[in-house]
Amino acid sequence: MRGGWFKVYALAYLVFLYAPIVLLPMFAFNDATVIAFPLNGFTTKWFSEMWVAPGLWPALKNSLIIAVSSAVIATALGIFAARASTRYKFPGKAGIMGLIMLPLVLPEIIVAVSLLVVLLGIGMPLSIFTVILGHVLMTTPFTIAILTSAFQSLDRSLEEAAYDLGETPISAFRLVILPLVMPGIISSLLISFTISLDEFIIAFFLGGTQVTLPVYIFSQFRFPQSVPVIMALGTILVALSILLLSIAEYFRRRGIAKSGGKDTGGFL
Amino acid sequence: MIPKPAVSDQTMIEFKDVHKWYGDYHALRGITATIRAGEFFSLLGPSGCGKTTLLRTIAGFEGISEGVVLIDGKDVADVPANKRPTNMVFQSYAIFPHLTVAQNVGFGLRKQRLAKADLDARVAEALEMVGLKGYGARAAHALSGGQRQRVALARALILKPKVLLLDEPLSALDKKMREQMQVELIKLQRQVGITFILVTHDQEEALVMSDRIAVMFEGEIAQLSDAETLYRRPNSRRVADFIGTMNFLPAEVISETAGSIEVEAQGFGRIHVDPKQAASEAPGKSASIGFRPETLTILHEGQQATDREVGATIEEVVYYGDMTYYDVKIDGTEKPVRLSMRNVFGRPVLDIGMRTRIAWSPGALVLFR
Ligand SMILES: Nc1ncnc2c1ncn2[C@@H]1O[C@H](COP(=O)(O)OP(=O)(O)OP(=O)(O)O)[C@@H](O)[C@H]1O
Ligand SMILES: [Mg+2]
Repeated sequence: MRGGWFKVYALAYLVFLYAPIVLLPMFAFNDATVIAFPLNGFTTKWFSEMWVAPGLWPALKNSLIIAVSSAVIATALGIFAARASTRYKFPGKAGIMGLIMLPLVLPEIIVAVSLLVVLLGIGMPLSIFTVILGHVLMTTPFTIAILTSAFQSLDRSLEEAAYDLGETPISAFRLVILPLVMPGIISSLLISFTISLDEFIIAFFLGGTQVTLPVYIFSQFRFPQSVPVIMALGTILVALSILLLSIAEYFRRRGIAKSGGKDTGGFL
Repeated sequence: MIPKPAVSDQTMIEFKDVHKWYGDYHALRGITATIRAGEFFSLLGPSGCGKTTLLRTIAGFEGISEGVVLIDGKDVADVPANKRPTNMVFQSYAIFPHLTVAQNVGFGLRKQRLAKADLDARVAEALEMVGLKGYGARAAHALSGGQRQRVALARALILKPKVLLLDEPLSALDKKMREQMQVELIKLQRQVGITFILVTHDQEEALVMSDRIAVMFEGEIAQLSDAETLYRRPNSRRVADFIGTMNFLPAEVISETAGSIEVEAQGFGRIHVDPKQAASEAPGKSASIGFRPETLTILHEGQQATDREVGATIEEVVYYGDMTYYDVKIDGTEKPVRLSMRNVFGRPVLDIGMRTRIAWSPGALVLFR
């Protein structure tokens, strides 16, 4: 009977996890302003209304700028950290790596408030730039985790073979290491982009007058008539996130398969 | 068959009192040796004795803590790996998985900026040399173990290094493939005339392939000599134990003159041993007489010994197809020794418990003291 209970548990778990997400497209295509059952017939008008909603496009633009910048910066930092942690031994390595990974488990609200206090303290005006700073802090642990897995699956002697054949450390990195960890880099870019794109708390606290997409969505919930539009927007974002994460995982796995290593990590 | 070229007297690599410390661990403890140009040289020893470390000091992947390494007469202390006239075949082969076979083999030529036609010709030539003609366009990560190894060889040899370093290149192959590659490597070395330095922990492999062998224990070279000397006249019990099988019987040195050492050996009685057949042993240990399983002969009924003979009892018979091993207790000794006989006439007739006679001569005995 134990197996039976386990099945019930697994089912309940999946329902709680995914039911809300399934509701999103349901109401996005529902022909009614009120979010309630029974459904009222199929429409795509919320999607066309979304297209002309005021404030949506500036928010999207801000979000894209922030997501692209923090993905690039966090991935660059992740490459350095992953390379250092897999290739070199240095005193206090475990402690330093632990500190870098800490934002992964810190409550985001604490991080956001502390950052706000610091920024206000040093008199830096709140802007897109400060959100990028916050997002880099949040996403770097993810990029390090992904890239460490990519660097670890590299056979150390590949690099030595490149030196042995006359390459300098820099050209060996470019010709051998970079191509082999490239799938990891792409995966890291996509995941940090996705995380930044739908991050709310930091964007809300550190954005000042600059509104990102999640902040915009939150603000729109005050107006009941715009809720179906948000559902439409939400549907698109969910679809996009799933797509990006799938591509990211595809690249991570391909990278490991290509360099002949074993799968030791990753998020999906 | 390519005739074996005479190894020159020219020195290619020289170690002068080389030490290597990893933190507190003394990995190389005063290595002094020379490797000649054109030689097939092996570093042989048990796991962890420092063979790979020593090889990597030649390649330039490992700095040394003390001492000097000379390659072709030049101190290489300040020469980085990418500037040394050596190339390496890695234990894992280290084939670049994102490149084709041809790109792998031509990798080291990138710096020379050859015209495409020249590059292709050089790569094709190198591939042909290792028996991979026509494999250039294959993806490297889809090759078998034996093919990877050939690619690794071609990739290293295409640069015409002064020294080729091989770190247990055959250990990942199955037995058949390994034996085939041993022969191919020997032929290849004769063909290109480059100094080969092979790391192995397989004594048979070292004996088969090498002009000279350095046996290492715990960061030191215990004996450096050609295969036959190593086998016939190991300079210590430890080397003797590591290379093949050696039987030991207790002995006592009675007297010693310049030309001969008089020994009282258990089972053999009083004999004279040539000082050339005497190996040094760590002081404190008692002396012993050693001999290889095939150097003593079990006599047939009625057969006469050419030199001397002694009675013995068969204690164990182990049949190996081409050979049979006999554990026999020689009269007057306490523990059995292992002898081997070729099975020329099919299955041996001797059985456990039978009495027999064994022919021996003092020349087959090595004195350890
Ligand atoms: N980077 C390192 N840091 C610390 N110790 C090391 C390092 N490399 C090797 N050692 C130690 O030095 C000793 C010699 O290592 P080495 O790899 O040369 O052995 P080996 O003779 O090649 O053995 P094997 O047959 O197992 O490959 C070993 O005890 C090993 O643990
Ligand atoms: Mg080794």
